[in-house]
Amino acid sequence: MHHLLYIDPGSGSYLVQAIIAAVLGVAFFFKNILAYIKSFFYRPPKKTDDNPPR
Amino acid sequence: MEKSFIQHPSSYRDPSGFIFLKEGVLYRQVNKVFAGDFDFFISSGCYEKLVLQKLLLPHEAIQENLTGSPEWHITLKPEPAAFLSWPYEWSFDMLKDAALLTLRLVRESVASGLILKDAAPYNVQWHKGRLIFIDTLSFEKYNEAAPWIAYRQFCEQFLGPLLLMHYRKMPLHQLLLAWPEGIPLNIIRSLLPGSSKFSLHTYLHIHLNARISSKGRASKKPAAKFSKQKLLNLITSLEALVNKLKLPAQKSAWSDYYDEASGRSDYLKAKKKIIGEWIDSVTGVTTAADLGANDGEFSRLAADRNIYTIAADFDPWCINNLYRSIKQSGQKNIQPLIADLSNPSPAIGFNNNERISFISRLKVDLCLALALIHHLCIGKNLSLEMTADFFSRIGRKALIIEFVPKSDEKVQLMLSVKKDIYTAYTEDNFKKTFSSYFQIARREVIGYSGRVLYLMTPHEK
Repeated sequence: MHHLLYIDPGSGSYLVQAIIAAVLGVAFFFKNILAYIKSFFYRPPKKTDDNPPR
Repeated sequence: MEKSFIQHPSSYRDPSGFIFLKEGVLYRQVNKVFAGDFDFFISSGCYEKLVLQKLLLPHEAIQENLTGSPEWHITLKPEPAAFLSWPYEWSFDMLKDAALLTLRLVRESVASGLILKDAAPYNVQWHKGRLIFIDTLSFEKYNEAAPWIAYRQFCEQFLGPLLLMHYRKMPLHQLLLAWPEGIPLNIIRSLLPGSSKFSLHTYLHIHLNARISSKGRASKKPAAKFSKQKLLNLITSLEALVNKLKLPAQKSAWSDYYDEASGRSDYLKAKKKIIGEWIDSVTGVTTAADLGANDGEFSRLAADRNIYTIAADFDPWCINNLYRSIKQSGQKNIQPLIADLSNPSPAIGFNNNERISFISRLKVDLCLALALIHHLCIGKNLSLEMTADFFSRIGRKALIIEFVPKSDEKVQLMLSVKKDIYTAYTEDNFKKTFSSYFQIARREVIGYSGRVLYLMTPHEK
């Protein structure tokens, strides 16, 4: 079935990823615009690194 | 003709190479078929970068064909990991960090013109106080027109289990034992609450993903070409989602054990003093297992003496707290692990050979069993004989065990909800039974608690 990654690279997976990536493209596009507009009105917050040290 | 090497029973899925054991040393062979990708992985500087960032287990390259195989390209000798553990023995934050590590590897490799082709948590192991990726052959040349081949695997093996724990607010690591290859998307989808659909990223990666895949349309012609930007968007989305997931702290059975016990601070202090001295008195101890470790208070006693200590407890909350504190302190000698001694992880996989059982992995010099015996004998109805036999097969050099008498308030608490059928549970019987497996070296009562510590050495077999 779909678990045999080395034989079947996930025939359905290609389509799924294409669709999801398209939706994400739109979402991130608007998110960036929103962030751009916001930056006019607010001072940019101090950049904090929320990733714990590795 | 008998083979001079043993191919690892779980190393058969990927034709790029395999792990094998020769004269007690673990090696990895890279096959000719993967030579181009592997050589590029090295020459692009990707390997060096990942090792420097402590994301990938380092290896030593050996230009010698140790297997005699005509497929041979190069032999690698990876730095050995002390004790293998698997995702069904990890706490929530461990699985989460392993997921973030996997996503970071995709990012880092793509920046070097390669991509991670395998997103299995089994490729992540505990090494020197942190989770690290061990499969050097999981990086192949990146083709920008292709999507991420391990995407579905990531969703089923990492994202799904994490989401279930996040939304259902309970540890569900055991699910990974039922589905070692990942929980199928349609099962994850049906176990998640309907409200999870309102999270864009969860909706896309689980709900929509499951719906489209279940239609099983194998479109041979790709709808549109994939691109690097699309891939990075996908990874950004997965990272954002995983980063948000958490298992809310909940009072575990033992989380307030030490807080409460702090009222008996002389008990803890006396106990630590005795155990510290006893560990020092046993020579040649390099590895230890602290069974019923709770939040690792006593594992630290061993670890601080440069003893590699496996801290195991059946309580996933405790182990999660321990993991977090190790992450913060950078303690390198403690390996946190969820293990229920009355039902330890079995051997799984093809031929029951791919992932060996907890007990067959657990061979150490020193075994600590502190405030544990009453849980096994009274909580789980195991006989003293069964526990003595069990402990005698774990610590090669010594066992430090605490006997908790029936008069103890914790035992009384347990007995308040069940019938006392434990007539054999006395210190005399304990001593007699354990004497047939061990030489009793020391016995000391801890303060005024009535609890007794024993240092024992196993009889020569």
